[in-house]
Amino acid sequence: MALLEVKDLAIAVAVGGQLVPVVHGVSFTVEAGKTLGIVGESGCGKSLTSLAIMGLLEGSQVRITSGSILFDGQDMLTLPAERRRAIMGADMAMIFQEPMTSLNPVYRVGEQIAESILQHRKVSKAQARERAIELLRLVRIPDPEGRVDSFPHQLSGGMRQRVMIAMALACDPKLLIADEPTTALDVTVQARILDLLKELQDETGMAIMLISHDLGVIAETCDDVAVMYWGKIIETAPADELFSTMAHPYTRGLMASIPVSDREVERLEAIPSRVPMLGEKLDGCAFHPRCGRARPICSDIDPVAIAVSPSHFARCHFPGEDQA
Amino acid sequence: MSAAPLLQVEDLKTHFALGTARPFGSGRRVLKAVDGVSFSIRAGEVLSLVGESGCGKSTVGRTLTRLETASGGTARLDGREILSLSQSAFRPLRREIQMIFQDPFASLNPRLTIEQTLAEPLRIHGLAKNRTEARALIAETLQLVGLDPQVMERFPHEFSGGQRQRIGIARVMILKPRLVIADEAVSALDVSIQAQVLNLIKDLQRDSGVSMLFISHDLGVVRHVSDRVAVMYLGRIVEIGSRADIFERPSHPYTRLLLSSIPRIVPGRKRVEDLGEPANAASPPSGCAFHPRCKFATDICRSAQPLAQPLGNEHFSACHHIAELQKDHA
Amino acid sequence: MATIGLIWLCLVLFAAVAAPLIVPFDPLDIDPVNRLAEPGWPHLFGTDHYGRDTFSRSLYGARMTMFIGVGSVVFALATGGLIGMLSAYFIRLGNFLMRGIDVLMAFPALLLALVLMTLLERSVTNTIIVIGIVYATTTARILFGMTLKLKREVFIDAAICSGAGHSSILFRHILPNLISPLLVQASFIFAFAQLQAAALDFLGLGLPPEVPSWGNMLSESRIYVTRAPWLLIFPGLLIILSVFSMNMVGDAMRDSMDPRFKDDIAGV
Repeated sequence: MALLEVKDLAIAVAVGGQLVPVVHGVSFTVEAGKTLGIVGESGCGKSLTSLAIMGLLEGSQVRITSGSILFDGQDMLTLPAERRRAIMGADMAMIFQEPMTSLNPVYRVGEQIAESILQHRKVSKAQARERAIELLRLVRIPDPEGRVDSFPHQLSGGMRQRVMIAMALACDPKLLIADEPTTALDVTVQARILDLLKELQDETGMAIMLISHDLGVIAETCDDVAVMYWGKIIETAPADELFSTMAHPYTRGLMASIPVSDREVERLEAIPSRVPMLGEKLDGCAFHPRCGRARPICSDIDPVAIAVSPSHFARCHFPGEDQA
Repeated sequence: MSAAPLLQVEDLKTHFALGTARPFGSGRRVLKAVDGVSFSIRAGEVLSLVGESGCGKSTVGRTLTRLETASGGTARLDGREILSLSQSAFRPLRREIQMIFQDPFASLNPRLTIEQTLAEPLRIHGLAKNRTEARALIAETLQLVGLDPQVMERFPHEFSGGQRQRIGIARVMILKPRLVIADEAVSALDVSIQAQVLNLIKDLQRDSGVSMLFISHDLGVVRHVSDRVAVMYLGRIVEIGSRADIFERPSHPYTRLLLSSIPRIVPGRKRVEDLGEPANAASPPSGCAFHPRCKFATDICRSAQPLAQPLGNEHFSACHHIAELQKDHA
Repeated sequence: MATIGLIWLCLVLFAAVAAPLIVPFDPLDIDPVNRLAEPGWPHLFGTDHYGRDTFSRSLYGARMTMFIGVGSVVFALATGGLIGMLSAYFIRLGNFLMRGIDVLMAFPALLLALVLMTLLERSVTNTIIVIGIVYATTTARILFGMTLKLKREVFIDAAICSGAGHSSILFRHILPNLISPLLVQASFIFAFAQLQAAALDFLGLGLPPEVPSWGNMLSESRIYVTRAPWLLIFPGLLIILSVFSMNMVGDAMRDSMDPRFKDDIAGV
């Protein structure tokens, strides 16, 4: 059984008394100990999806309108609030893009890690501090006994993100949701954080759901990949299969848009036009206005997911067609 | 390619006074954001400045456009020194050095229509006799950057990020400058839009023959647009050379670290050795600023600042051990 | 709430404009026979110790309120705004000017107004100038901060790169972006100016005593307050209602321009 199973999750934003749908029924699973990557451009709904799973949409203008989120066999959406809070931050933890704003500047990092331990575990303050030091060591922070008493502003961006990871790991989560964890970091620091996440996964056996706009980051870290566009998952496959044979024209376009440092191309094959906004109205396949292989049917009927292989699905009427 | 350079920068320094370390303390600290940078750009050439945040690459661009004040060094545009000119004497020259900014949402005045934004540089530099002429020029430039001329009546908030960046490019190109400084010009854009804007910048550069200083942290983008590349680390250029030199024959340990850190879609990136993070520019390490992260560092690296060593064919590298490293690499 | 406030302010404005046409009595007419008459007919709000009609005087008081309010707002925004903007833009000048503002701000607002008023003659113009100076200080502080922030905006850098000069940057790029905060500031100054003017009148340092203003009426009422409480109640109520309305309208204006509420959809 999958550790996390999201079924037909639909999310809408309340605007002036009306619900505007922004995520249109996404389904995916994260297997225990594996990494699922969700990739897409801004406004594709990838962050909303992760916030919905973490239950962080409550009290905002955003509503989950249908679907279920099964974590470890329990539906998070119907669970009593108290039971859910016991899971969040313990069995399921999250790290964010901006490691500076996610840490409270007036508390020492050790206190903040200890705090999240004390919330979920019945241990003494001294034990929590011991555990905080142990966690800092786990995320390869040099001199953890000294750094435990540092304030967030005394640490570099990469070190702060390591502290965030340490905090997330405080209660040995089964699932770590990482929303653009390295986007704010420099490339050399990013490489270290990605390596660290992989090492930690090997050591702890946790599953990771990694949200990123960067196909390179996804390709390096993920076992399975889901590509999102305009609030829908348009292609899913194991990473190696996806990156060797892309079936959806959007995924292919995204790939061709990236200038890579390994080789030179005369001209990038850019996807024309602009990224549609969440909540915008689109008929048929959401990608058809930008698609080179669009035909009349594409503007009328929204394609369902078609199996390209037993493990590879694409929401396209003509998947993989112009494959050379 | 031996023509006289359009822009010749020598020993450029931009230092910022930081506040005192503590309230009521004494002794001002100095942030040496740019500390002795030299390079040149020929007519029609694209030079990229690449490096991580805080390395001073943006400050170089902002100093050359006089948005920051240089603390030392010279920059000659067509032989004419521009850093020592007064702001008012420099103003007419601004037409020749133009800048594309990173954030397409912040770089347009929200209260001005596109026409007003684009007419301003024309008015200042007296390039249009009247409104009709200005509108014709604006329409032509908007078409050049791939926008419908009819958009000129609208306000910035009505456009997407990619369109706004095109407007920002139009504001630059309408002056027909000789040097464009693009400061992270595509970094804020989504991948699919970034490719469109990169193609546009490349086309415009090639068609107009304008020289370009392309500042970016993204090595993929840099490889795509540049003729030559300069790699910066903590206020200095550590390696400069042709695109092929930097990407196929990188010599400086920092350049190699950068290149090996990029996430690859094709599997096979080796794990990066954990050698710590970039030092703070406010308190740079002694000697070679990179030595705390460099596995080849020896005593000389800790005490003496390395000079740029020629490696042939305009390829320079500022490393004490470059000769040995080159041998290993070959 | 803001709607009710706006309706009330419109009523006050109407009274101020139309006062000469709609008052039942001349506000300065003395009628010794009807001294301290209770509210009723024909003296809706009663009469004061000279037998002057309180209702008529209240309507004329609205006129003064509006006049002083608008006058002080214009004075405060023009001087304070300019000082704040120029100080932030030319930071060396600012170090000098803003220290002066800081000194003025060290006085409590009313004390500052009192000190200035004792140096000047009691007149409508001087009241406006004094209240204007008091609120010019806060306006300068606020605009100083906002201009400093705007100065660092990328579009200002872009304007400089286009070759724009100081006046073009100040008045074409910075000022239009300050309009909405200035409007909000104006609404609060308007409210406080009314209070301030009433306080000065009450202490006998504001408008000349013969001018019918709510503050003067309040000031004159205190001797007779046990015999004729309406002399206190009506002007007092008018001041409270007007200040409260102006604050409500100001809050609504501030909320409507607050970007946190604007970007709701863009933020998700």
